[in-house]
Amino acid sequence: MRMRVGLAAGAALALLLTGCAGEDRSADDGTITLRFQSLAWQQESVAANKQLVEEWNATHPRVRVEYVQGSWDSVHDQLVTSFEAGEAPDIVHDASDDLADFAYGGYLADLRGLLPARLTADIPAQSWETTTFGDGVYGVPFLQEPRVLIANKKILEASGVRIPTPEEPWSWEEFRRISEDLTRRPGPDRYGVAWPFRDPVSATLNLGLSAGGRMFQREADGKVRIEFTEADAVVPGTVHDQVNVDRSASRTALGGGGSDALPGFFAGRYAMVPLGFSYRQQIALQAPEGFEWIVLPAPAGRAGLAQGVSPQTLSVAEDSPHKKEAVAFIDFLLRPANMVRLAKGDWMLPTGRQALADPALRTTRDGWATGVALARHLRPAPAQSVRGYPEWKDKVATPALQEYYSGGIDRDELRRRLVEDGNLVLARYQRD
Amino acid sequence: MSMRTGRPARTGQYLALLAYLVFLAFPFLWLVSTAFKPPRELGSLHPSWIPDEPTLANFRQAFGEQPLLRAAGNSLLVALCAAAVAVLVATPAAYVAARHRGRLAKAATGWAVISQAFPFVLLIIPLFLILKNLRLVDTLTGLVLVYVVWSLPFALWMLIGYVRAVPSEIEEAAAVDGAGRVRTLVSVTAPLLAPGVAATATFAFVTAWNEFFFALVLLKTTEKQTLPVVLTRFLGAEGVADLGPLAAAAFLATIPSLVIFAVIQKRITGGMLAGAVKH
Repeated sequence: MRMRVGLAAGAALALLLTGCAGEDRSADDGTITLRFQSLAWQQESVAANKQLVEEWNATHPRVRVEYVQGSWDSVHDQLVTSFEAGEAPDIVHDASDDLADFAYGGYLADLRGLLPARLTADIPAQSWETTTFGDGVYGVPFLQEPRVLIANKKILEASGVRIPTPEEPWSWEEFRRISEDLTRRPGPDRYGVAWPFRDPVSATLNLGLSAGGRMFQREADGKVRIEFTEADAVVPGTVHDQVNVDRSASRTALGGGGSDALPGFFAGRYAMVPLGFSYRQQIALQAPEGFEWIVLPAPAGRAGLAQGVSPQTLSVAEDSPHKKEAVAFIDFLLRPANMVRLAKGDWMLPTGRQALADPALRTTRDGWATGVALARHLRPAPAQSVRGYPEWKDKVATPALQEYYSGGIDRDELRRRLVEDGNLVLARYQRD
Repeated sequence: MSMRTGRPARTGQYLALLAYLVFLAFPFLWLVSTAFKPPRELGSLHPSWIPDEPTLANFRQAFGEQPLLRAAGNSLLVALCAAAVAVLVATPAAYVAARHRGRLAKAATGWAVISQAFPFVLLIIPLFLILKNLRLVDTLTGLVLVYVVWSLPFALWMLIGYVRAVPSEIEEAAAVDGAGRVRTLVSVTAPLLAPGVAATATFAFVTAWNEFFFALVLLKTTEKQTLPVVLTRFLGAEGVADLGPLAAAAFLATIPSLVIFAVIQKRITGGMLAGAVKH
């Protein structure tokens, strides 16, 4: 009996292991198969991507595209391993601020000479800058999102403040004054604004462009140095003073992410929340019945409404034997009408001029028109191509800005840490 | 000698135990609560434990958007295989290491402990290249192999402890009674080791069931991906999450582990008592 049980268990295990065995994916009929790893995650976005892949496959029987689902949460580590082992997908969806190491490491194909003129001309030069590293272009930037102010419409209208538009935005000083006005409402724990700054660095740098901030200065020898000028101090100073001097910004919201601020926003505790443009999807989904919200441009400074973005990108792996076909697929995916579908699916802005002109994105509904009006002001995020930036961000800038915003250190100490400690970090990456 | 505990002290002990259980159960209960809430309740400033309007919409959306059943099937297959192979390999090795305490056994035990110190990010690229040469990338077999290798040192270390807890005098007594080596191992040692084997198998199963990074890197074909990899598809850039469906899917993902623990826990306890009490 015992023997029989043992044999049965052994047979079951053998069956299980046989079931685990993989299949051979190779095909010898001449059909090219491209693997497209997409990071789309919202229901509409996944559907749009899959639909477009199906449309391509239906019209291109000799070049089949296989849709592979990736995840934003782990894409960098996954790509590092795949590139190292020569197993990366042919077409890689990522963000421009993640491409520098892959581009400099020789893992991504230089797309110059492969891109069709239509696509090159359709996407503005400032967007191409986000994927240009050294002399090469290593991705096609196709979706982007500015940071906007999402505001409680009723509170703003009741307060009588001027509602800003992309043509007449608030200045940073005006924004600070209005936030104070909006804080003076009946009820406990009322704030004009909530800055969800769990990860404060990229938002601070990106919004800082509007005030003429740059922080990362490239010198004649090509090396990058950090400076913290008066222009760089405008945005951090505004947030700091709102939290610690005016008390018009919630201190507790500082430690959370965008999603964490939404319950307080819906409950009327915060009149405004600065968020990425795509957060509108969550707001539309979660807002209580009758809750009215509007999308406002972020405040402007001496550089107007300029702000930094790191667009989503499509790249081709250097190891791919079918680069031409991969670029042809990218060109198909980013035709104006298709780019609109992808943008709507992700609640983001397309980079393409023709897609931005599409009436579907010019509607005032859900703040689309405000976002589209901001598109021409978007610039490459500062420092995204600077080697050593991730370490500076994690080890120096994040703790320094968090302490500054919560009142733990003053501006001089913030400057010292960002500049002195920061340049030490960058120096390690820029040795000759 | 028996210890008598007073009623207040006993009540205090139970309260402390209850507090500990609540502490442990809190994340899981919150997960369950979130899984049944509509999106608007998830955005409430004062969330409640019991949803005001409980809904299955999150489950419908989770199943509609992602192939959760297929992913769960892959995870189950891989975890069962990994647990079975790990136990089959570790048990005889542990027996030898525990009973024959030579230099080799000591070195093997030491290596088992030291190998736990390597962070897997150091191993992943060489491992990937080895599996690529063996043509095992993008196969569940390759993933099983990785999980076996990954859990084997700790499984071995665990089982050595269990083998050492079985007195060798029992085996000697069986030999005196005329039992051969195999008969002694099968009829005397194996039943006493069963709780340890069950605990080790559970450990290997849960490790494989929950593992994310190796599965993410090794499996390319969407149809072969395991549950932890599929769960991350509910996460967007910058930590934005589709919270309701994510909670629903994560709740379902915990069920197999809970069932296995519930089933095996009794056997582990029963087996340990059987081995510990003289009749």
